[in-house]
Amino acid sequence: MEARYTLVLLRHGESHYTQKNLFCGFGNDADLSDIGVREAALAGQRILKAGLEFDLAFTSVLKRAVKTLFLVQETLDCHWLPVVRTWRLNERHYGDLQGLSKTETAKKYGEAQVKTWRRSYDVRPPVLDKKDPRFCSSMAPYRDLDPSIIPVCESLKDTMERMLPFWHDEIAPKIKTGKRVLIIAHGNSLRGLMKYLKRLSDEEITKLEIPQAIPLVLELSENLQPIRDYYLASEEEVKTAKAKVGVKDNVK
Amino acid sequence: MASSHSVVFVRHGESEFNRDNIFTGWCDPDLTTKGVAEAKDAGKILREYGFEFDIAFTSLLKRAIKTLYFIQDELDCHWIPVTKTWMLNERHYGKLQGKNKDEVAGKYGPEQVQLWRRAFYERPPLLEETDEHWNGSDKRYADLPFIPAGESLDDTSKRSLPFWHNLVVPALRAGQKPLVCGHANILRNLIKHLDSNLSLDIKELNLPNALPLVVELDENLVPSKFQFLNHGNGMAPKKRSSHS
Repeated sequence: MEARYTLVLLRHGESHYTQKNLFCGFGNDADLSDIGVREAALAGQRILKAGLEFDLAFTSVLKRAVKTLFLVQETLDCHWLPVVRTWRLNERHYGDLQGLSKTETAKKYGEAQVKTWRRSYDVRPPVLDKKDPRFCSSMAPYRDLDPSIIPVCESLKDTMERMLPFWHDEIAPKIKTGKRVLIIAHGNSLRGLMKYLKRLSDEEITKLEIPQAIPLVLELSENLQPIRDYYLASEEEVKTAKAKVGVKDNVK
Repeated sequence: MASSHSVVFVRHGESEFNRDNIFTGWCDPDLTTKGVAEAKDAGKILREYGFEFDIAFTSLLKRAIKTLYFIQDELDCHWIPVTKTWMLNERHYGKLQGKNKDEVAGKYGPEQVQLWRRAFYERPPLLEETDEHWNGSDKRYADLPFIPAGESLDDTSKRSLPFWHNLVVPALRAGQKPLVCGHANILRNLIKHLDSNLSLDIKELNLPNALPLVVELDENLVPSKFQFLNHGNGMAPKKRSSHS
């Protein structure tokens, strides 16, 4: 099968929450750390070196992704690119775990439970109470949304269910018209997209880690099936980056 | 009389060509360090006055796009939809683009230059496809109906007004609070059209880099008030609600 289209996925650079090893997720609009800013610029360099160009970019409404995109555009000198922001590409909602320390949570519930919450396909984390100030309905980007569709917790399956309609309706058609697309999003929203595109099983997806700020290139067939996918970095760099964000036994 | 709507216009911060006194038009120089600081300051001023936006418009030129980004950073609103449009590009200055303004005045005479700059139907000398600054092969303009070779102020109106009516007016009618980050000539052209009654004395509207201009409009979207904002310029900080 011949590759017809190229799609580039990029997870945002390190945020302040990653630095502090806290659950960030849908409802926390953490900024990039200084390291994250450098990682984003380096991601742009990798794309530049690979000679890739874009016509259109999609991102979430969370600043760590929006700013990563800006820094990549700065490196590629393409600030003029149309950019579509959507809450549907936001990171997965971690429910009541949002803002909590990953280490403390592991101590409280056990590492196995936390690993299940983080990497299983359809297990939901503890639900966030709608009266909790962390519930997003009063936050600016979500004020006009029906509160009943704003998440209070998500499994990866839930994240995919609200993300994939956007892929089908907005992104896939653009790729098929020949637009070269860049998607800058989050660990789980991208894991969800990879599960769908590569038809990964519920078991296989638990082992997939997406490193921060290393561009992932997918060469797609006529009907958007990935023929090849590869990171724009050495195996060693990818392994180190996966170790930083992954659950321990997933690092290959 | 309470205004029904407001729009904030901001000219980009100082660009490399502004600093070097060069006709810019559709050339795409970057912000200078001073320009970045000005852009951030514009954001700080807007934050001081309690402004919130839920939609933004800008051109395809990085000096405006980046000014908008820095303002969004100060206002913590990176989530808002941003529409980039060629219709908001600076007036196209044809063959004058990339040339030093004093040298051009020396070559053609100050009266001719003044005519090109301010006479409504005067076009500057037109660019040719072989010229260094010809935009024809620039990917960002691939979907344009035609590539300008130079514009009169009248030509600029043919896109500033459609920009206003097709993009900004629907946003205002939907109750949104737009931020428009653009360029001196295109914004001046637009604002003068909005104030066609000349009810406000803005015959020689000078738009300094990165100074926010608040335009209040009545329910018919006719401007009722213009106000430049600066730190502590006598206005008491207004609290604006984020919802209408």
